[in-house]
Amino acid sequence: MNAIEISGLTKRYGRVEALGGVDLSVRRGEVFGLVGPNGAGKTTLIKALVGALRPSDGEVWVMGLNPLKDRAELRQKIGYMPQGPALYEDLSARGNVGFFGAAHRTPDLRKKVDEVMIFADLSERANDPVHTFSGGMKRRVSLACALVHRPEVIFLDEPTAAVDPQLRSRFWKTFRELAREGTTLFISTHLMDEAMLCDRIAILRQGRIIANDTPRAILEMGKTHLVVEREGAEEEEETIGGHPEDLAAALRPYGLHPGVTAVDVETDSLEAVVLSLIEREEVG
Amino acid sequence: MRRTFVVGGRVVRQLLRNPRFLVLSVAAPLVIVYLLKIFFDTLPPTFDVARYAVPVAAFLVHFLAFLLCAIALVQERTAGTMERMFINGFRRTEIIAGYVLGFLGLATFQAVAGLTEAIWLFELDYDEETLAMLFVVVWLLAIASVMLGIFISTFARHEGQVFPFVPLIILPSVFLSGLLVDVDELPTWADWLGHAFPLFWANDVIQDVIESGWTFDDVQGSLAILVGYSIVLLLLASLTLREVE
Repeated sequence: MNAIEISGLTKRYGRVEALGGVDLSVRRGEVFGLVGPNGAGKTTLIKALVGALRPSDGEVWVMGLNPLKDRAELRQKIGYMPQGPALYEDLSARGNVGFFGAAHRTPDLRKKVDEVMIFADLSERANDPVHTFSGGMKRRVSLACALVHRPEVIFLDEPTAAVDPQLRSRFWKTFRELAREGTTLFISTHLMDEAMLCDRIAILRQGRIIANDTPRAILEMGKTHLVVEREGAEEEEETIGGHPEDLAAALRPYGLHPGVTAVDVETDSLEAVVLSLIEREEVG
Repeated sequence: MRRTFVVGGRVVRQLLRNPRFLVLSVAAPLVIVYLLKIFFDTLPPTFDVARYAVPVAAFLVHFLAFLLCAIALVQERTAGTMERMFINGFRRTEIIAGYVLGFLGLATFQAVAGLTEAIWLFELDYDEETLAMLFVVVWLLAIASVMLGIFISTFARHEGQVFPFVPLIILPSVFLSGLLVDVDELPTWADWLGHAFPLFWANDVIQDVIESGWTFDDVQGSLAILVGYSIVLLLLASLTLREVE
């Protein structure tokens, strides 16, 4: 059984279609990235998965459970980190984590709160009110709230937005540790370097999935630009496919010819590939 | 039930961690009752102070309990913590009941402080039974006000949208609940409209008990309506508080 199954998920707000027939499946223990520009429908999709939103059409299953009909059972199994801090600013970090942890039937809650405080590196400031924290610390508290009851699937809505590179790297180390322990992570992001860290990604554009594969496979949908310099000759430019085999085939004719003085290889970034996929969708 | 206490405990902790809010919400009615005393002192000695002093204190508790609870709940929505509570498994009845529990402490404190000050400042002399009944009715009014605040908060997307309900609900209740003038002197429709406000029923009990020689039979009807008012508002709030978009 997959951790997440989505079939024909549609959400309409009046005439506006926020999601238009999304089909997706996420395997257990996978780090799955939902990539797309602002307004693509990432948050809407996550809200449908956590049972905060009633779909207009289609079906959603998380750990084999329907987020609306099996709400009570499912909420024990999922963790959710929203885009905003969504914390009680007057309460301490420990107070916030303890409160959201108490919503679940969490055995040894006090011990688990202490553990997640250490995990999120918040122990020293655990009893300080959240309004005295920096933005990055609030994100860590928010993550701790989502993790305290040890969920099987965690939904993270742009968890590293407005977070410095050091903290972002720490977050990703945490995500990888969780995945190694068997937790499924469903992460929305508009940052392509983050998408590269996922096991698989889906690219969402205007409520529709336009690509769904491993980051490597999506990268190979792009192009590679070759510039070959030869002694006494003009530069030769060639654009080939993004697959490593395409590159090998393109370089073969040049061999180890001593006249070739330099070969400049420039491969499309994931961002460029995603942009070209979006453009292709718009034209098509 | 366990989660109701979790929410209630959290609301209390938040209130205790916010001394400015706490002091203002208790100090404001005390200051207003004192200003009322100064104002009443300028009136002729024949003026029946007792008829107004306790009802005004009750109104202040009603107004503040409504406003503070409504704003606190709307803040939950704007901060995203309401949605997070639902996603974490709190049910709306647990959230509402938790809020009632949390604000009950504050409402009780406001009721005791407001009443004690009014009775002391205006030198009102009531027997123990009357004092107990006055406290009970102001306390029940405070609970109804918390319920009203919860119910109204479901119609507001941000804090600013709570304020239009003040001239819409709270101020008319001052004029139509018998606080300032006898409701019998109002047009029939206004008299009936006045019955829709919890302050009407609280004032009815207060006016009965400050007269000497009252019995429980005289006030039980209005007390029951005040309790019923809270239950109906609790049910309405449970229906209007949306768990799912």
